[in-house]
Amino acid sequence: MFKLYLKIAVRYLLKNKLYSFINVFGLAIGVMSFIMIMCYVSMEWSYDKFEESHLVHRVFMDYIEGDQFVPGDANSYQLSGATLTEKFPEIESYVRFRRFDEQNFVVDRQVYDDQIISMVDPTYFDIFNQKLVLGNESTALVEPFSIVISEVLANTVFGRENPIGKKVELAFDGQFLPLTVTGVIDFSNRRTHIPTDCLISLSSYFNLPYFERERQNVWTQNEFYTYLKVRKGTDLADLNAKVMAFKPGEDIHEFERHHLEPLESIHLNSNKPYEAQANGSASSVKMLALIALITMLLSWINYANLTTSKSMERAKEIGVRKVVGAGRHQLVGQFLFESFVLNTAAILLGIVLILLVLPTFSSFVGYDFSLNGKTLRQLLPYLLIVLFGTSLVSFLPSFAISKYKPTSVLKGKLANSGSGLFLRRTLLTGQFIATICLLSGTFIAFKQIDYLKNRPLGTNLNQVLAIKGQAINRSKDSLFHRDFNVVLEELKKKNYVADITVASTYPGEDYGNANSNVGIQYVDGTVDEKHIWYNYAVWPNYFDLMEMDFVAGGPFHQTSQKKSKNIVVNETMAKLMGVHNPQNLIGKTTVFWGENWQIVGVLKDYSHFGIKSLAKPIIVRHNNISQNILIKLNEQVINLAGIDNALQDIESVWRDVFPMSTFNYKFVDSQFEATYADEQRLAKVFPIFTLLSILIASLGLFGLTSYTLIQRTKEIGIRKVNGASIAQILQLLNQNFVKWVGLAFIIAVPISWFAMDRWLQGFAYRTNLSWWVFALAGVMTLLIALLTVSWQSFKAATTNPIESLRDE
Amino acid sequence: MLLQLNNIFKWVNSGGQRVFLLKDINLNVEEGEFISVMGPSGSGKSTLLNVIGMLDGFDEGEYHFLDESVHSLKEKHRANLYKEYIGFVFQSYHLLDELTVKENLEMPLLYKKFKGSERKAMVADMLDRFNIVGKKDLFPAQLSGGQQQLVGIARALISNPKLILADEPTGNLNSAQGEEIMELFKALNEEGVTIIQVTHSEKNAAYGSRIINLLDGRMV
Repeated sequence: MFKLYLKIAVRYLLKNKLYSFINVFGLAIGVMSFIMIMCYVSMEWSYDKFEESHLVHRVFMDYIEGDQFVPGDANSYQLSGATLTEKFPEIESYVRFRRFDEQNFVVDRQVYDDQIISMVDPTYFDIFNQKLVLGNESTALVEPFSIVISEVLANTVFGRENPIGKKVELAFDGQFLPLTVTGVIDFSNRRTHIPTDCLISLSSYFNLPYFERERQNVWTQNEFYTYLKVRKGTDLADLNAKVMAFKPGEDIHEFERHHLEPLESIHLNSNKPYEAQANGSASSVKMLALIALITMLLSWINYANLTTSKSMERAKEIGVRKVVGAGRHQLVGQFLFESFVLNTAAILLGIVLILLVLPTFSSFVGYDFSLNGKTLRQLLPYLLIVLFGTSLVSFLPSFAISKYKPTSVLKGKLANSGSGLFLRRTLLTGQFIATICLLSGTFIAFKQIDYLKNRPLGTNLNQVLAIKGQAINRSKDSLFHRDFNVVLEELKKKNYVADITVASTYPGEDYGNANSNVGIQYVDGTVDEKHIWYNYAVWPNYFDLMEMDFVAGGPFHQTSQKKSKNIVVNETMAKLMGVHNPQNLIGKTTVFWGENWQIVGVLKDYSHFGIKSLAKPIIVRHNNISQNILIKLNEQVINLAGIDNALQDIESVWRDVFPMSTFNYKFVDSQFEATYADEQRLAKVFPIFTLLSILIASLGLFGLTSYTLIQRTKEIGIRKVNGASIAQILQLLNQNFVKWVGLAFIIAVPISWFAMDRWLQGFAYRTNLSWWVFALAGVMTLLIALLTVSWQSFKAATTNPIESLRDE
Repeated sequence: MLLQLNNIFKWVNSGGQRVFLLKDINLNVEEGEFISVMGPSGSGKSTLLNVIGMLDGFDEGEYHFLDESVHSLKEKHRANLYKEYIGFVFQSYHLLDELTVKENLEMPLLYKKFKGSERKAMVADMLDRFNIVGKKDLFPAQLSGGQQQLVGIARALISNPKLILADEPTGNLNSAQGEEIMELFKALNEEGVTIIQVTHSEKNAAYGSRIINLLDGRMV
């Protein structure tokens, strides 16, 4: 029997090539979109999830901003963990991270640069539930100057040798710090908001003279990421309330308090200053998951629509089968089998499509989705959902088809169930709603990104190159400064260098190298201990090179020591100081860090921490620093000579002076763009899946049109015989679709308005929800619908009526 | 002369062979005639009717309708021609199920650009003439077969055509209803409407003034 079914199914599908293709293709696109988006989404959801991860919480600091506490800093104090653990019995243990980016190791004169190191407590393995590949978890991070390296690093440095007991040297503060490898760890199975390449025992921190001053600032300098593990059954809201009310010591300021947040939610929900890395965004992920669901639903609706409508044409076959004795369950069986063949083909095609686009998709969203056992395991649950849903929708048409009465279908009358038609129309309207929502969403996402990109930054980042090199065996003494200046002088002579300066940080570098402070005495003598402000240090021509504008005063004047107690503030800082006319600030003195500082200029507000956030109060100091070299490139020369040649040249200048060193460069404009990478990724992914959804919806519409047209063949014939023209028939057939699109539009606009309004709330600067965006989405949907429908209704309208009005 | 068919041929190619549906048809129809087309199944009766009604083309020959050469007219002109002068009556009535009797009658007028008041008058007139005023708000499914065919004929007549083409108009009716319809045709013919009907029944054919017999697409 099955062999017969298979034969019939395959023959039928091959005979109706267009139908089969549309159906298989539509489903396959749905399967592909759903699985791929869910792959990405589940990746984003999987951060910091491990056994008992729900018991782990991060301690962060709330600062007072005006009258209320706001999340102020992802870091906490050296003693935060220990003090809280001692005070609250609910807390089982704690681990601290003192984390450093861009560190360099030396093994056998070979430099391994750009490593992230974290100095952690030995409790790390227990709290983060990590096992060592080699070494002993209970002892590995106890002794000072012990290091646990990642498996990847172990393989590159030591190859197949057993690294345990081997020495590596960390270039630190101009010296080589010998460390003993006590363990090898595999980080590859973990996604975390605080990635690291190796772990160093925190006892090293307490034994290094470099940190001597910092070690004494137990309650004033917060440099640690602290994580707590609470006991099972702890009431977290209660604990959090107690932690927030708790004053750990005399020294801690009144303007701050400790606060806990679940480890699992950090990656998607936390966006505080000084995060370990730029986190994901829960709203974007939700939006994508929604798109995935919509796409999948659309393709299922489609499948049901298409199959049912196509089966109308088979009414006669079913009648014949029934007359010759096929039972209802046999018919259902046959149609189910056909569904099975079709769906299997669709899912297989979907998987082939996934394999085809996966590499592109990976590079598109900036994640590595290489197909391995792990990815497959990740795919599996979604594949099962797809299978389950698809088999569910297969039942629907099969039952509808098998219900036809043989006597009426054989007479050429089709089973015309009003409720079924209503359902299909509802589903179709649903598809239009989804289409309009997705289209308007895409337009708004684009509009927002465009708005952000075109908003004046208050600074010009084009053709600005940031050079960050580290001389490994040199401490930052006067000799170093002299050599550093040699590099600058050499570079100044190059024709591709338009200008050159030095800054401790710059727009686009995020919070990393900007200091946050609380506590300042303003020019009028008032002391503010309630607002966070940021500061960094630059050379005097920084403002000129970055094309920043002054509303009052001007840049620093160069002094013989190349530093001074002069500062430049931005407008927001000036407002914080309560001064309305910035001119009044020039020459005035403020006090912070126990020293007097004279204001020489007020900067027009510019975007420092990315375009998503509002301008923050900033103080720029004048100092003879030697951190980032900022080069304004001469565009014309660069266009001629090529950027790669210039970069090589710059590196050789640097290496001539500092032979044992690292050399990194970044284009400031693209680094700045990375601060809204998440939104850009969304803006890239959104239209693709919107397009796919529209394609699927069009296929569904195609199916419903053919269904309707079969129903109305006779009517069309009669009308034509009675004098209706083709245009009049087209109008008759299409006006319903216009009605449904109209209805969908009315429903879709508030939904989309609400959703996009929520999304825009995440931006400090946002574009407005213009009416034309929705109008455009509606008109486009209408056009797409009419095009899809007209293709078939034109065919129907031009059919000779004698075909449809034959009386035999 | 209402219409003239000269050496009309119509064929289809099937399996490499030419199968003739109509073969050398020559027919003159004067205004006021009542012609019955007879012949066995598959002899080409309906095809002939469709050709005369301009719903179907032909492959060879000439067709003149009221001095217009139909064979050389463009599709649009042809449509205008039959819209204006020809009414169709079908075996299975072909009324629109979703429309009431009144609306079914009005439908052809909508496509001929009559004004609303005019349409109303014409529909009322037709309802009167066929004595179906009481049924004007019923749907086709609520009428008997004979009544449905009555509406079908009324619809064919509503825009005053010169020619009524009826394809087995009584085929779905019982004998009493059939007779009623044939009497109606006779009365219409006496009022001056030209009628061409296809029929299987000798009795119905006898209502006509002339009988054309077809066999395998040829007039005999």
